[in-house]
Amino acid sequence: MSLLMTTMVHAASCGTNAVPGSPTACSDLSWLSPGDTSWQLTAATFVALMSIPGLAALYGGLVPKKWAVNTMMMAFTGFSAVLVVWVLWAYKMGFGSPIGGGTANTYTYHYGGNFFANLFNNFVGHPETSLRGSSEITQATLPIGTSVPLRFSTTALFYFQFVFAAITPLLFLGSVLGRIKFKVWLLFVPLWSTFVYSVNAMLMWGGGYWAHEGALDYSGGYVIHLAAGTSGFVAAWMIGPRLARDRAKFVPHNLPIISIGAGIVWLGWNGFNGGDPYFASADAATAVVNTNLATVSALLVWVLWDMFAGKSRKPTFLGAINGMIVGLVAITPAAGYVDGSGALLIGAIASSIVWFAWTFIQPYTLKRVDDAMGVVYTHGLAGLCGGLLVGIFADPSVIIYASTGASKKALTPFAVTGWLYGNRHQFFLQLFAGLTIIVYDALATAVILFVLKLLFRGLRMSDEELEVGDLAIHEEEAYPADEGYTRVGELAGVGASPNGPPPAPSMSSTPDLTGGVR
Amino acid sequence: MKLVTAVIKPFRLDAVKEALEAVGARGMTVSEAQGFGRQKGHTEVYRGAEYQVAFTPKIRVEVLVEESAAAGVIDAIVKAARTDKIGDGKVWVTPVETVVRIRTGEAGPDAI
Repeated sequence: MSLLMTTMVHAASCGTNAVPGSPTACSDLSWLSPGDTSWQLTAATFVALMSIPGLAALYGGLVPKKWAVNTMMMAFTGFSAVLVVWVLWAYKMGFGSPIGGGTANTYTYHYGGNFFANLFNNFVGHPETSLRGSSEITQATLPIGTSVPLRFSTTALFYFQFVFAAITPLLFLGSVLGRIKFKVWLLFVPLWSTFVYSVNAMLMWGGGYWAHEGALDYSGGYVIHLAAGTSGFVAAWMIGPRLARDRAKFVPHNLPIISIGAGIVWLGWNGFNGGDPYFASADAATAVVNTNLATVSALLVWVLWDMFAGKSRKPTFLGAINGMIVGLVAITPAAGYVDGSGALLIGAIASSIVWFAWTFIQPYTLKRVDDAMGVVYTHGLAGLCGGLLVGIFADPSVIIYASTGASKKALTPFAVTGWLYGNRHQFFLQLFAGLTIIVYDALATAVILFVLKLLFRGLRMSDEELEVGDLAIHEEEAYPADEGYTRVGELAGVGASPNGPPPAPSMSSTPDLTGGVR
Repeated sequence: MKLVTAVIKPFRLDAVKEALEAVGARGMTVSEAQGFGRQKGHTEVYRGAEYQVAFTPKIRVEVLVEESAAAGVIDAIVKAARTDKIGDGKVWVTPVETVVRIRTGEAGPDAI
């Protein structure tokens, strides 16, 4: 039986996706590494756990009780909506053949050529459905090419890239929660994945302009976090503020739940950065260690700022969580390009910058744009800090054996060099790539929401719904009371009657489930 | 001495507290409560099962005042808690025989 199945798998692997020139033979699976495949699927699952339950619990705990259900609901539905468009068209828009012509591996890109031609020909991929039939078990390829052929299937790469696409809207959920109409959210997320995320992914990773120029984004400091911060900020501005009373008093309702969510986010990040070398390799281990180094550094630095410069001079748990997120975000564009001390420095610098912005600038921006969770700081600014700092701290002795951007050097094992090691050019690549993301994402997000605003006659719930929160939107609440509930409908009256003893058990073999009360 | 008790909508609590401070009330006790009045309950649905929920969350506010101050306190609460919608709550006054401040042992109006 197993022999038969193996034979079938071999036959089906004769797809068209084999890497040209690679030793892959059509009729065998010698390209497949169980170790690489296991790590890739494990890393992907870790990243997925960061979204659900990680962010659902983190944001669900950070909002007042009356918004907990709505917040968790948007996390679970947003995650789901992304996968639908991801398989139908968006994956290929981010990682498929560019619209300007050419196939995935032969770009119409000319170094030093026409800037606009290079930008627009490789702006986004052809929207196509992924995972048709036999393509599911073919060897994965990256559109930008890899120095070493990948040793897992297309499906593994597809799912790994999906969990990144899925977490991004869930991050900017923090900017818009507490007032966005649920229907608007259900459409905003897939539209954003289609028109913004896929463009970002192509631009930095899939073989778009900045990928070719050699700008670095190891795991999404720009594609994910700068994008989420920018888009969330624009969305918060377009949707309008929360209810004035909610803004005045938006006290987190459950700190232990926050601790669970935040912990899952932190350790899930081991998959986030550790999965991006695409090999169960030394790079993966380096990225995991760097991720944790930057995070502990940022967490502790934030706590120290709180203790010695904060309003109450007290260490706070939620401050520590903010520092943690800033560290995770800031190391994301850099995780495999810097050494351990670079990682510690990136965490400390980013945490300090964001702490000062959070403390001294946020009060002013919050008056004008109601970014409820401050995503533009903890993700947007932190992502930008990390993206710029990798241009400074990238250490040429840290060698990458596979392609994660920086394609010019990707045909052989490569290393990247930051300003500190003599390559000033890298810093400016990072700066301009970041600005491209900010400008494009802000405009595209505004256009999407402008259309949705016309379609739904407003993006914000009514004041009556905002007063009540979860109960008005979902008819559910986070912590239903113990008393006072009476079942309506088919099972009404079963087991209890408010006006007397429960109805006598029926002697008939088919119990009367209505209990005689309708 | 009088005990003024009010049952109000939870989100009016801050306004009521400010109004009480403005009329010179020196303290208040707040507790969460549930109940029904003219405002009937609402519906909740869990896993397809629909429930009629009889009680609505409210806040109970209690204020001890001297007899002469009762009218002003009632007025302040009514004005601050009113939204003109059903379910705004009620205020009532009951006589109080004695009040003792535990820390000092003071009794009567001095203890308020």
